[in-house]
Amino acid sequence: MTAGAGPRHLDAAAELIEDAPCGIAVTDPDGRLRYVNATLAGWLDPGGRNGDAPRSLPEMLTLPGRMYYETHLAPMMRLQGFVREISCALQVADGPPLPVLISGVARRDADGGFTRFDYTIFDARERRAYEEELRRAKREADELAAIVRRSPNAILRVDGAGRLRSWNASAARLLGPDETAAQGRPVDEAIAFDAQPGWFARTVAQAPETAEILFEASHADGSVFEVTLTPIGETGLPGQESWSVILRDITRRQSAERQLRVMFDEMRHRVKNTLGVVAGIARQTLARPDAEQFVSRLKALSQAHDALTGNDGAEAELRDLLDFTRREAGGAARLRVTGPEIRLSARQATSLSMAFHELVTNALKYGALSCAAGHVQVDVALEPGHRLRLSWRERGGPPVVAPARSGFGTKMIGQVLRAELGADVSFDFDPEGFCFEAAFPLG
Amino acid sequence: METTATERNNVVTTGQDDGAPIVFVHGFGCDGTMWRQVAPAFEDSRKVVTYDLTGMGQSDLSAYAPHRYADLDAHAEDLWEILAELDLSGAVLVGHSVGASIALLAAARAPERVSRLVMVSPSPSFLDDATQGYRGGFSCEDLEGLVGFLDENHLGWSAQMAPTIAGQPAGAPAAEELTRSFCRTDPAIARHFGHVTFFADQRGAFERARHPSLILHCDDDALVPMPVAEWMRDSVPGTTLRVIPATGHCPHMTVPDIVVTEMRGYLGQG
Repeated sequence: MTAGAGPRHLDAAAELIEDAPCGIAVTDPDGRLRYVNATLAGWLDPGGRNGDAPRSLPEMLTLPGRMYYETHLAPMMRLQGFVREISCALQVADGPPLPVLISGVARRDADGGFTRFDYTIFDARERRAYEEELRRAKREADELAAIVRRSPNAILRVDGAGRLRSWNASAARLLGPDETAAQGRPVDEAIAFDAQPGWFARTVAQAPETAEILFEASHADGSVFEVTLTPIGETGLPGQESWSVILRDITRRQSAERQLRVMFDEMRHRVKNTLGVVAGIARQTLARPDAEQFVSRLKALSQAHDALTGNDGAEAELRDLLDFTRREAGGAARLRVTGPEIRLSARQATSLSMAFHELVTNALKYGALSCAAGHVQVDVALEPGHRLRLSWRERGGPPVVAPARSGFGTKMIGQVLRAELGADVSFDFDPEGFCFEAAFPLG
Repeated sequence: METTATERNNVVTTGQDDGAPIVFVHGFGCDGTMWRQVAPAFEDSRKVVTYDLTGMGQSDLSAYAPHRYADLDAHAEDLWEILAELDLSGAVLVGHSVGASIALLAAARAPERVSRLVMVSPSPSFLDDATQGYRGGFSCEDLEGLVGFLDENHLGWSAQMAPTIAGQPAGAPAAEELTRSFCRTDPAIARHFGHVTFFADQRGAFERARHPSLILHCDDDALVPMPVAEWMRDSVPGTTLRVIPATGHCPHMTVPDIVVTEMRGYLGQG
């Protein structure tokens, strides 16, 4: 070291402290400022216009920082002799608060008494923005985690091979008392379903990679679950897939549905029995031709009830109704149907089946089906506004003559379809063949 | 097994076993070690008890159920349990800041176990109450800001709790103490207790004080302005207000000698 190196070295040190890339402050043990470097002074008063510079460290800070200084920072300096990376904000003259991190160290004299507190203060604007982002993400994650934790459904996370990684409290109840031992076990061993060994690998292998898998399974304890497997494609890397497995207990729902089905079957049975009794009464009461006609109409109504199989007996397929009619007409060659599949409400199904019965009876007696070459063309179409248009055209029968007065059949068709379904109905006694059209909203 | 209050609250008893008891209650932000320059001065004649409020310092953090500690009563009940477990009677309760409120509430619960109160930098309520002409020093927004600020310091906290000590010369006088981190607080508890502390309004309890008390108030306290001290002087029955020349909110740490002298003067040498 040369003789001149010392002073130059000190100059550099003084300059470094004054212009350091961080704020430096020295206070007495009561927080009164003894020294503020140029960097910090510049942060506090960027314009250099404010003559009223802070006299103590807490005065530099925004109000919460001041309270924090009194309750935490000052006691810590005295108790442990240092503070590290306390997040605060500087009160800036004519500007928004400047987020900073404060570290400090207490200096003592030979007797252990405090002589001064040295603080370094770092600009934390970028870090604060990043931390705010982290806190927001954490809050969000905490909220979602709380939902999973408290869900009545058993929710588990498994790796690509189906080994258990984590689960919520509802799943823990299913895993039983040795819950901790379940970690890493194959999920289809830890939660076994009746007659479905290896259910995880089997169902996952059958499904396309990104799809959600849904199935029902009964557990050994007698519960029935709706099981949802959803791939959690977070890494996107092959071999690192993990899955969420959600088990919803549907035991009660299933038994309620079963009970409903039993009740429905019973009801249908009674309806059919009642119709049978009514048919018997008709045969006893009415003259033979009238009785036969009445009973065949009852039969049509009864068939409509049989067709009501969808949605627990509340819905029927139009195609099923037309199948009955086709059998009455004498087969597919005699009654030709085009159009989409249509699901009908119970009211629509019973009204339409009565109408079809009248139409086909009439066609067999007087219309196209009364001779071997004739047939009926039924076209079904869906129109805008979810309206159904249905046309019945007879071809190849004897020449048609418009009736002098409409019979019970056409009257019934028109009245029932208009009143029950709000249908537009038209009859056309075209000499080429009888035509009937109905259009109504499906609802 | 049910833990005892002395276990839960890290109760430390020193001094004379048969001496008149004196119990120290710390405030928000730190723990019982805050009293280390004051409490020992009474060990020659008294039974000296220090402890950490539930959730702070070396207390059982798992005992801090937020819904139970949603107000200061639960802390007062803890102190009452400590007094009962140690079977103290005629004790002097010394509380700092919110610890003074806790001591006051505990004394009301167990008047026979307490003789006098010493309240260091107390404040019955930090919140201004214009309708009553009470100037606590802070608006609601100020206090919300502080609670938010405690939240903000969550992330910085892990560094705070790290046992590494940077920039400390080896063999510094307090080197041994530095090996443990002071004022360590679970950030979630700090935030919760901060809210409970700064939004507490115990003016009613202060007005109904049943024991004679000494209030030590710093003349330059950023948290407790002079009007609060004057309100207490005029509203707390049987109190003696002493204003001491000191900066800050913690005279028991900054000017412990003055605090000890004032306390001795009030309590008598015995």
